[in-house]
Amino acid sequence: MAYSGKSPWVIHYDGSSCNGCDIEVLATLCPGFDGERFGVVNTGNPKHADIFLVTGSVNEQNIDVVRQIYDQMVEPKVVVACGICACSGGIFHDCYNVIGGVDQAIPVDVYAPGCAVRPETLIDAIVAGVAVLDEKAEKLKSEKKGRA
Amino acid sequence: MDIQGFAIQGFVAVVIGIIAFAVLAPVVGCLLAGVDRVLSARMQGRVGPPLLQPYYDVRKLFEKEGVTVNGVQDAYVICALIFAIIAGGIFFSGGNLLMCVFVITLSSLFFIIAAYSSRSPYAELGAARETLQVMSYEPMVLLFSVAFYMATAALLPFGGWGTFDVSAVFALDAPVIVCIWPVFLGLMFILTIKLRKSPFDLSMSHHAHQEIVRGMTTEMSGSTLGLVEILHWCENVLFLGWIGLFFVWGGPVTLIVGVVAALAAYFLEILIDNNFARVKWQFMLKSAWAVALVAGGINLAVLAFL
Amino acid sequence: MEMLLFLMAFPALIAVLVYVIRNDAARNVLVVAGAAVTAAASIALACMHLGTGLVLFECSSAVADAACTVVSCICVIVIVAFAVRHANALAGVLALVQIVVVLYVEFAFAHDMEVSHGLYVDSLTIMMVLIIGIIGSGICVYALGYMKDFQAHEPEGAKDRRPLFFALMFIFLSAMYVIVFSNNMAWMFTGWEVTTLCSFLLIGYTRTEEAIRNAFRQIVMNLAGGIGFILALLLCATQVGTFSLHEFIEIGIANPALVLLAVVCLAFAGITKAAQMPFQTWLLGAMVAPTPTSALLHSSTMVKAGVFLLVKLAPCFLVSPVPSVMVMLVGSITFLLCSFMAISQTNAKRVLAYSTIANLGLITACAGVGTPEAVWAATFLILFHAIAKSLLFLCVGTAEHHIGSRDIEDMDLLFERMPRLARFMMLGIMGMFIAPFGMLVAKWATLVSFVQMDQVALIIILAFGSAATFMFWAKWMGKLAGIAGDPENVERDVTSSEWASILLMAILLVAACVLLPVISATMVEPYVISVFGMAGQDIAADNLWIGSVCVCVVVIALFCGLGRSKKRTVGVYLSGVSRDDATRAFQNSLSDESLATARNWYMEDVFGEKRMAPVGVVFNSVLMAAAALLALCGVALV
Repeated sequence: MAYSGKSPWVIHYDGSSCNGCDIEVLATLCPGFDGERFGVVNTGNPKHADIFLVTGSVNEQNIDVVRQIYDQMVEPKVVVACGICACSGGIFHDCYNVIGGVDQAIPVDVYAPGCAVRPETLIDAIVAGVAVLDEKAEKLKSEKKGRA
Repeated sequence: MDIQGFAIQGFVAVVIGIIAFAVLAPVVGCLLAGVDRVLSARMQGRVGPPLLQPYYDVRKLFEKEGVTVNGVQDAYVICALIFAIIAGGIFFSGGNLLMCVFVITLSSLFFIIAAYSSRSPYAELGAARETLQVMSYEPMVLLFSVAFYMATAALLPFGGWGTFDVSAVFALDAPVIVCIWPVFLGLMFILTIKLRKSPFDLSMSHHAHQEIVRGMTTEMSGSTLGLVEILHWCENVLFLGWIGLFFVWGGPVTLIVGVVAALAAYFLEILIDNNFARVKWQFMLKSAWAVALVAGGINLAVLAFL
Repeated sequence: MEMLLFLMAFPALIAVLVYVIRNDAARNVLVVAGAAVTAAASIALACMHLGTGLVLFECSSAVADAACTVVSCICVIVIVAFAVRHANALAGVLALVQIVVVLYVEFAFAHDMEVSHGLYVDSLTIMMVLIIGIIGSGICVYALGYMKDFQAHEPEGAKDRRPLFFALMFIFLSAMYVIVFSNNMAWMFTGWEVTTLCSFLLIGYTRTEEAIRNAFRQIVMNLAGGIGFILALLLCATQVGTFSLHEFIEIGIANPALVLLAVVCLAFAGITKAAQMPFQTWLLGAMVAPTPTSALLHSSTMVKAGVFLLVKLAPCFLVSPVPSVMVMLVGSITFLLCSFMAISQTNAKRVLAYSTIANLGLITACAGVGTPEAVWAATFLILFHAIAKSLLFLCVGTAEHHIGSRDIEDMDLLFERMPRLARFMMLGIMGMFIAPFGMLVAKWATLVSFVQMDQVALIIILAFGSAATFMFWAKWMGKLAGIAGDPENVERDVTSSEWASILLMAILLVAACVLLPVISATMVEPYVISVFGMAGQDIAADNLWIGSVCVCVVVIALFCGLGRSKKRTVGVYLSGVSRDDATRAFQNSLSDESLATARNWYMEDVFGEKRMAPVGVVFNSVLMAAAALLALCGVALV
């Protein structure tokens, strides 16, 4: 049995968001919605995190940061694009410096649209991300066995 | 029995204690951590995670890919865990309290070196702060051991000489708390530092969004972090054992009193954790030393001269 | 007895040869052979007298007495010559005062004061012999490699004064043997003065202005101590009527009032030699000397002579409150404040110096308590401090030559730049302050002995001092332990004589820690029993053996367990985009490069020398003055 899904620790990165989605992300983790019911903990450290919550689009300035945080996360890991900007660039998609959604920088597993994204949507997205996480954990395990 | 036989018997008892502690302490510590999470959530008006959440967390950590920032950090963390378990084994097998205190300090040292070795600025800062925390609580811990010795001297029926042996509590006429309650209060104060609870969670907070990321554990991931969690569980069990020690006397039945007292102390620590903001190191050092000097000093002086 | 004479004479002979024969290769052979023979003879002597009580040897000769007086005079003449050349009036005056008293004692009383048994051996002496013979000789061997580097760092055309250096080192060993073997206190005093003079010359070896200033500070303080010693001899002659150390101690136990002033004087001499506050500055100043000198002064000789005398006097302290309280408080205050001050130091050698003074303070305090348990603890403190400190000094000396600094902050990444040396250094540091190593076991025994005597003040001081000790050692270790990238390994050209000595100390440290129960049974217990008639060990044997097992675990982890991880290695987290992990460079918000740097805490404003030192100096000076006054009153009443 995989335990990854029972303990999804998240890290939150604010790309070029207007901060609307960030407020909702933090609201999700606050007592009102209590993400900890599902074991969600906000870590603030990519080395401890399983799920990467990115808000806002990716631009020339932050694309390296997004990539680095993703690289520093330890397998198995899942990326959730939070809000429409993170999904596709949103209303900023044709700004001179915007590259587009998060998937322009790193592989995204779950897209959570909305402007701003609702905590309910986010919880659903994290739960969907958890399923992906479990899948990846199983795969990693069988790879490990295969090597051994 | 001759001295040699006695020594071997004591040695064997400690080894058995270490094995038992290695098996049981993680279980108890894990449940305590779960209770902590649930209680904290309830105090904040939340439902909180399942009781076994810490267990799930650690299982998950062991499932993660093995990654390290250097080749030595894991070895240091394993040493820290081994010595924490030895310290616990010494204590719960009724061994020497001072030895237990010294060995748990060795464990802290290895944990500090593990953090330093990563050379991450956050971990290094956390390690420096942890060193300061050790310096803050160490006097009180030593005075606690000495006070225990003096209390047994006063309370043991055959009188005269005291002992550092934890097992001696079963021979006492009354629990040591009656003689050394100021020391108990002092120990409660520094227990907050030892458990790394707010307001003294300077070196590594359990919560995100602090200025030094996760402090000492910033560079520890996957199974290494899992070991660190287990290390903290073991430490917590040991420290609560120290608290319980104050309330045990006469026979094994009174262990129940000790356990209840330890749990009450733990509840109090959770309450404090949820109600205080973190302080600066200057306050921690000064207050912890002042408490040790006043509570420990006066208590010892009274025991020695009255 | 021939063995004792051999040990006292042989190093002096080597010294003469080293001084006369100025060839490098010949010196190497001489020093190694001399050190090996000295060590072997020490071990042989130890084997012959293992577990012995007090054994006195019949030995008295007018020639020896006269020789001692002559040596004392030579010492004074040398000191006065230096004082005149460097225009230091105080040193000259003190030296002259001393020689006047010496000659007065010699010609007015000495012929009546025949000591029939001039030499002795007991278990404490055996332990000191092993410390001097093995550690002291080891340091001499280390000095071969070190001084070669040292000379190479000197400016072109500088005079090679190494023959003098090695001669002084060996004379030092001889003088130490005289101190630990002499039952005749007049002979002991001569050894005492020779060590003072040798360290004066060794501290001033580099002849820089700073070195000369510090050398004079040393000589002034130790001459004052020497005057204390010779006054004690005078009192012995006039009041007690014996120069025999052991008779003196017996009389001291039987009739404390009679020897009160003499004991206070001797304690004063011991305190100055052991660099207790307010005399701590001479040992700190001694740091300007080449590192082997520091190692020798700190670990096996000089300061150990001071605490050796104090431990010898412990039975007198037990029955005599005035010197006891003086020694106890001076030692414990020194321990506390010097531990605090060590936190504020970045210079590795100064940290070591403060730690030495602090530990000597603890030994002094134990001697002052004077119970069998306290003496047991003090003896082990002497032993473990000697081993661990010499290991540390040798490591720091070697590191200094290869990284070009003795600043702890510059020892960053030493674990990779000098992997073997850093491990030895970490072992030495752990040996100094952490369970289960011997030093902490000794501190543990100290604590227990304080508790049994209800010395609440000392217990509290020990608790706080130990906490400070943890702080300054742990942060140093942390600095050593850092690992990043692949810096250049700079330890390949460390000389073999340095490696050999460092390895010797490391093996001694581990062996002594693991075999602690055995050492206790064969050397320390016999001494305690021979002096007090009862055993003084208060730590149960099973705990000692648990400690031994833990030592093995730590050593295995340190030398075999580190660096074997098979995990994938990644860079550290720097909150953003890392540019270079080895230098901790990251991309800042302007897309520029920034460096993350971290320094340790030194807390100058809390534990700085400016705040701490005056407190200790004033307190201890007042304390000693009060003790002297009380002792004088006591004498007047008697």
